[in-house]
Amino acid sequence: MHTQHFPQLDSVELIEQGFESFGYICSRKIATAVFLAFQLRKPVLIEGPPGVGKTELAKTISLLLETPLIRLQCYEGLDEAKALYEWKYGKQLLYTQVLKEKLGDLLQGATGLAESVAKLHQFGDIFYSEEFLEPRPLLKAMQQEKGAILLIDEVDKSDYEFESLLLEILSDYQISIPEIGTVKARTTPMVFLTSNNTRDISDALKRRCLHLYIPFPTVELEERIIRSRVPNVSEQLRHQLVGFVHSLRQLDLKKAPAISETIDWARSLILLHADQLEEELVRSTLNVLLKYEEDIETTDSELRNLLSSNSSDTRTA
Amino acid sequence: MQSNLVDFIQVLRSHDIRVSPAETLDAVGVTTTLGYSDRNLLRDGLAMTLAKTPAEEVIFLDCFDRFFQQDLADFSSAEMSDPQDENNDTDATDDTAAQTEDLSTNQLSALELAAQNNPSLESLLQTPLMENLLNNNRNELTLAIKAAAQQVDLQQIQMFTQKGQFTRRILDAMGEEQIRNAVIELEKSESPGLAVLQRYRDILRQQVRDYVEREYLLHAEGKTQQFMDDILSKTRLNNIEHIYLHKVHELIRKMAKKLASRHSHKRRRLKRGQLNMAKTLRKGIPNDGVMFNTFWRQVKKEKPQILAVCDVSGSVAAYSKFLLLFLYSLQDILPKVRSFAFSSHLGEVSAYFDDYPVEKAIELVNWKYGGATDYGNSLMDFSKLALDDINSNTTVIILGDARNNNGDPKLDILKSIFQRARQVIWLNPESRRAWGSGDSEMLRYQSACHFSAECNNLKQLERIVDQLLKSTR
Repeated sequence: MHTQHFPQLDSVELIEQGFESFGYICSRKIATAVFLAFQLRKPVLIEGPPGVGKTELAKTISLLLETPLIRLQCYEGLDEAKALYEWKYGKQLLYTQVLKEKLGDLLQGATGLAESVAKLHQFGDIFYSEEFLEPRPLLKAMQQEKGAILLIDEVDKSDYEFESLLLEILSDYQISIPEIGTVKARTTPMVFLTSNNTRDISDALKRRCLHLYIPFPTVELEERIIRSRVPNVSEQLRHQLVGFVHSLRQLDLKKAPAISETIDWARSLILLHADQLEEELVRSTLNVLLKYEEDIETTDSELRNLLSSNSSDTRTA
Repeated sequence: MQSNLVDFIQVLRSHDIRVSPAETLDAVGVTTTLGYSDRNLLRDGLAMTLAKTPAEEVIFLDCFDRFFQQDLADFSSAEMSDPQDENNDTDATDDTAAQTEDLSTNQLSALELAAQNNPSLESLLQTPLMENLLNNNRNELTLAIKAAAQQVDLQQIQMFTQKGQFTRRILDAMGEEQIRNAVIELEKSESPGLAVLQRYRDILRQQVRDYVEREYLLHAEGKTQQFMDDILSKTRLNNIEHIYLHKVHELIRKMAKKLASRHSHKRRRLKRGQLNMAKTLRKGIPNDGVMFNTFWRQVKKEKPQILAVCDVSGSVAAYSKFLLLFLYSLQDILPKVRSFAFSSHLGEVSAYFDDYPVEKAIELVNWKYGGATDYGNSLMDFSKLALDDINSNTTVIILGDARNNNGDPKLDILKSIFQRARQVIWLNPESRRAWGSGDSEMLRYQSACHFSAECNNLKQLERIVDQLLKSTR
């Protein structure tokens, strides 16, 4: 097992710049996490509300390092046959058929049962061997010659058993297959786990990871993100819409709008040729930002207040 | 610096952040990778290895700032001098401005003058402590305070009442006694050097006091909290003052969460089967290797069921609140819990617990089922409501004092429950010695329980629940 060196990850500043060139504007903390993850060879457990760019982070790193991204989406009932490896049953069956047909040739000259069995033992047992192994995402990540970015998405959706399955991979970068032995990673992959906090992750798993919490961004950071993602929004509109989204997040909403929603909204406002926020416009496009009927209703009644306080902010600023 | 890091981790632990030795090693790795030059970078890096939840991160940042922001002790003089205070040296202890005032040359020489005909004062002026004070050597003094603090084990500070004691001990360890003696001597001889020396003494005292205060906040605040929790969990439930009720609630919730995380994963089993290739092949051998039947790996899932019955009558009024609180938490942890409450008659209260917040639910239950106890009648109600559901997977927990006002205990009903259920557990708030005395039917009921225990403080409760969860998984 060896580790690949990436000059792109030599310092926190370089990482920030690298991400920016791929349109991913990140806070210092995120860049630090990536830097540490690479230097210390530790997985990163990313937590935070949906839509703040947890998955995007892993994707951007894969672009930056030009290494393949191997993604494992977790769900309830995910087991080792889908995450680690599976035997190629069909081929194994064919093999037994072939073996049966060839058995006569192979045992030629053997007299008596004991001798035949002894002869049979001389052949390598390939029934359980790597040739019949179907690698699933986790094993595939270990097998990559040039390293890989392994993204284990929404690990909180998986079962507790699955978590323990991950422990060996996360701390030693190896997988134990009972029939074969231990498969070590050819090159240590960079592992990212994301969690939406729907349940507590076990301490054993947490202990093995760097813990990165990505909160909603600050106004300043979000404006930079919008500028990079939706470059043709005017400065004034960008300022207004980010301010509005931030005031929305203060309300008691079922699901507060995240960065991805802000980006979508900015794009739709461009399509509607808006150059500033007007009440009617906001009302009709609110469904881009808010995904629950109740949230839209709550916001609807507050809309005028939100917009007026927001615009006065803009003026004073 | 590494020992510094370890100290910091100790502080984190005292503030309820669990840091394992492996994580300490990680933290050392982080510091060597990031270096100490960029404070914010180091803070973010350490936060990632040491704080594992957003809540812990908040505590972490707080501790980090306190721990690493230890300024050098301030012994400076000059700029801030205030002429009024110069004339009023007795107030100097309380007034920081007074401490930092400049000592003009003639004052200093007054001290030296006094020293000339006083050998003990002269030798005092030669000591490193006094020299450092006179020359305002901040680094040296800060180090001296730290060393003295280490000598007296300041990190062991537990309660705010110990602050004075520790301050005194640190001052003694630094050799402040000499200054004190000199002051007394100068007072006797009414020397002009007295005021000057007094001021130096007060500056030193104030600095040490500040240092102790900072260390107290760092080390002891968390410990005091733990200490309180510890005391509360060992106090008999009916002795806990009303004002601590909300704390107990917190504690029970904490306990419940701990238990939940320790046990909940054992409840779950693999839901879907997986092809058992080896067995399928093996079973195919008699058919000439043709696999007629497929065999699947499957784990049988077992669903434990818990029925909890709680006495809310007058005789256990002080306990029932906690027992209900406990039931409420239990229903949160375990998947299939049905809760019942009774005094003279019995009813199911699971719905209250599901629908209302804890205080409201307890109030409703007390209001609806409170009164005089009748175990016989309540057991009959219980068997009508739930006996059919009791099977070898059911655990029945009864919380009550078994004081039946001399009525018919209806032991046969409990016996039939005992035979059907996997486990009947009776938790009695009374001490074991009181069982069977007066109208207590506990000894008789005990015969129809798999397990009966005294349970009147949270520690016992925790232990029992832990046992229970182990056996129901």
